[in-house]
Amino acid sequence: MTDQKIKAAKKILVVEDEEYIRDLYVQLLQKEGYLVESAVDGEEAYMKMSKKDYDLILLDIILPKIDGLQILEKFKKEKKELSSPVVLLTNLSQEVVVAKAVDYGVRGYMVKSDLTPYDILREVDGYLNGKHVNTQLK
Amino acid sequence: MNIQLVFLLFAIVGNSLLGLFTFYKNPKSSTNKLFSLFTLFLNSYLILNYLSLNQISDEATLFWIRAVMSNAVILGLLFYFLAKTFPKKELIVSRQQLILSLVAATILFFLTQTDLIFQGYEHETNNPIPGKAIGLFAVYTLIFLSGGFIELALKLKNSTTIERIQTRLFIYGTILMFTLILTTNFFFVVVFKMTFLVGLLPLYTLVFVGFVSYAIIRHRFLDIRLIVARAVAYVFLLLFIGLGYIAFLFDVAILLNNERPTRQTVQDLILPAVIALLFAMSFQPLRRFFEKITDRFLYKDRYDSNSVLWDLSRIMASTLNLSELSKKILEKLLSSVKINYGAIVLMRHSSIIWVGGAGDISGRPFKGKNIYELVHASNKSQNEKENILIFEELAESNTKKTMREHNITVVLPLIVRKELIGGILLGEKSSGEIYSSEDIDLLKIFAPEVAVAVKNALSYDEIKRFNITLEEEVKRATEKLRKANTKLKELDILKDEFVSIASHELRTPMTAIKSYLWMAINQPEQEIKAQLKKYLEISYASTERLIRLVNDMLTVSRIERNKIDLKLQVINVCEIVQMVYDELKISADEKHIDFKLLGCADKRYNINADKEKMREVFQNIVGNALKFTPEKGKITIDIKMSGTDKVAIEITDTGPGIQKEDLSKLFQKFSRLEYSYAKHSSTPGTGLGLYISKKIVGLHNGDITVESEVGAGAAFSVILSVVSNKPASNENEEKGKKSKEVK
Repeated sequence: MTDQKIKAAKKILVVEDEEYIRDLYVQLLQKEGYLVESAVDGEEAYMKMSKKDYDLILLDIILPKIDGLQILEKFKKEKKELSSPVVLLTNLSQEVVVAKAVDYGVRGYMVKSDLTPYDILREVDGYLNGKHVNTQLK
Repeated sequence: MNIQLVFLLFAIVGNSLLGLFTFYKNPKSSTNKLFSLFTLFLNSYLILNYLSLNQISDEATLFWIRAVMSNAVILGLLFYFLAKTFPKKELIVSRQQLILSLVAATILFFLTQTDLIFQGYEHETNNPIPGKAIGLFAVYTLIFLSGGFIELALKLKNSTTIERIQTRLFIYGTILMFTLILTTNFFFVVVFKMTFLVGLLPLYTLVFVGFVSYAIIRHRFLDIRLIVARAVAYVFLLLFIGLGYIAFLFDVAILLNNERPTRQTVQDLILPAVIALLFAMSFQPLRRFFEKITDRFLYKDRYDSNSVLWDLSRIMASTLNLSELSKKILEKLLSSVKINYGAIVLMRHSSIIWVGGAGDISGRPFKGKNIYELVHASNKSQNEKENILIFEELAESNTKKTMREHNITVVLPLIVRKELIGGILLGEKSSGEIYSSEDIDLLKIFAPEVAVAVKNALSYDEIKRFNITLEEEVKRATEKLRKANTKLKELDILKDEFVSIASHELRTPMTAIKSYLWMAINQPEQEIKAQLKKYLEISYASTERLIRLVNDMLTVSRIERNKIDLKLQVINVCEIVQMVYDELKISADEKHIDFKLLGCADKRYNINADKEKMREVFQNIVGNALKFTPEKGKITIDIKMSGTDKVAIEITDTGPGIQKEDLSKLFQKFSRLEYSYAKHSSTPGTGLGLYISKKIVGLHNGDITVESEVGAGAAFSVILSVVSNKPASNENEEKGKKSKEVK
């Protein structure tokens, strides 16, 4: 359990509008001992991201109200420091947005459908602890 | 003072007047010259004849009679020439004819002075005694007079409107003169024995001269009103001067002699009076003559045809703009010839398409059917040089009516290569004069040149307009294309978006299915029955396949829209193949397949490639081999140079092989190789893998080939270009080569 407690110190924000998938990731990550918060749309995500720092933000792109990239754009425009590392977790094909994502300082790009829950946990662990990840953006 | 003398003087004055007037109207015309000469000899004939009748001595009488005869010889000759030439400008007598008639006339002229024609004068009968050769004179006269008549008759028969009228007038004058002579000098004398009308003869010549003069002048020249007005004014002037002078002389004579006027006084005054009249008569022609000479020095009011034509040619050569051209030409013409207005009309397909005017053309649009018909009428003549309409010359007709309505005096057709393209319409001369032959000549030379110039300008204009139209057309088409292109671009973006969103939307539920199935299979808490686990695993595999299909379709869509961006980098192909080999080694081991990678141990094959994309390619091909190769089979990946600058990655398996008919279908989309799928593939693919692989290798300027026989496995070769001159990899390259050599 001590191992889990160390992990619990890590705060993760899951931004996902699809209920089943959100629940899955939240449960999955909580089970691993992370402190997980979630946002169901772009606005909520933006609010939470501006108020609080996270150790990792898993950000979907296609979202109601404001989409994932627009959130990042907003931060960039308002010149607010986004201290939390952001990894995109989306089903949108990579090529469309990858250039912009790099521009916004996004760390990684995960395609949900290509990854098993296990793969996701491994990648998250990698991002949080500076280990090797397969989905890192250069 | 006898009445005969009065008639004589009157006839002489009249004849001289008409002769001079005719000569003045067109001094260059042979007809006019001949006619003037004829009147001159007619007058001398009348004078000589009068003198011959009023001599006291027989010798003198004979002398004057002989003079009359000589004069008659010349008259006969002139009559014939005149009839033959009339009404043309050039002398229409052949050289042969001219020499022959002149020789005949000269011989006869001298004969008339000898005894051979008249040998004496019989005082008793008041008749000259004919000589031996009098018959010769009669024949001569008969030949020339009848010859003249025949010429006139032929002319009447063959001539056209205006010439016909002129000829008719000539003939009328001649017939009238002879009829009158026959009536008074023969019929009255012979039948009624009345001789008092014999003295009227000079007047008959005046009738003849009047007719012929009018016939000549009428051609192209004066409106009859103007002749009459001029003639009347001239006669009044003569009468005024003549009578005034006579009256003055009369008064002076009475004053000097200081006596009552007697018959003698009057008779003495006749000669000075005649001289006075002659002075008066000669005043106007002389004034004109000297004016003409001075004009020639000072160019007053006159123009030089050659210089005008030269100027016009220069204008025509200098501009191609139709409006400018017509304006300049007309202005030059109007100012030179002094015409009050002019217009050029152009026609096409029975309507007037363009009108350009100069001068006073206010209220004259020159359009409509009647103008069109008028221009056509000007082109009726057979002889192109005679294609001109002159108001004064026309018989009353619709054409003349149209000309009167529009105040048009001259119409010239514009003809280019026998095609009537339009016409020049000219108004009256500002002086109120009629167009002179010089003017008409100028116009006739000028019209064909204008026709060509105008036609050229018109063509230029049309080309210019066509160019503008073309430009607009191109602009419009370009605009259309631009819009279509924009639309296509929009559509392309929409399609991109659609494909992205569609795949996104497909992936989302599949992610949920896949993830939850994974959770169900991999949950550690609960044991699940083997049967259920199998079901779940099949579902999971199918979901995976579905996801792969979506991914492949996304790739295909990108390839087909050229949306693939290759992230090229120089990389050792062995590095990629090694990765794939490592990945698939586990699966191969599971199937107990002899899986080997050869040729990479100590070599580098640098290629310029997108690492990820190439990895997909090898995953695909090697994955296929793995899929189709049965347990305990063999798969070999062999990498070696192919030629000097290419590397070949050859993947051979011991699978079932591919039928020949299927080889060509292999790289097609959704290719179905029934044989292999039905029997050997437990995990079916998407049917897109090889298609995508081939396309990706193609994007790298490489190729994939396959050799296979049923039952003997398959060999896929991926051939890629080797980068040889990359500085970063030079050392390695050298090493590779060396090791190769060593080997």
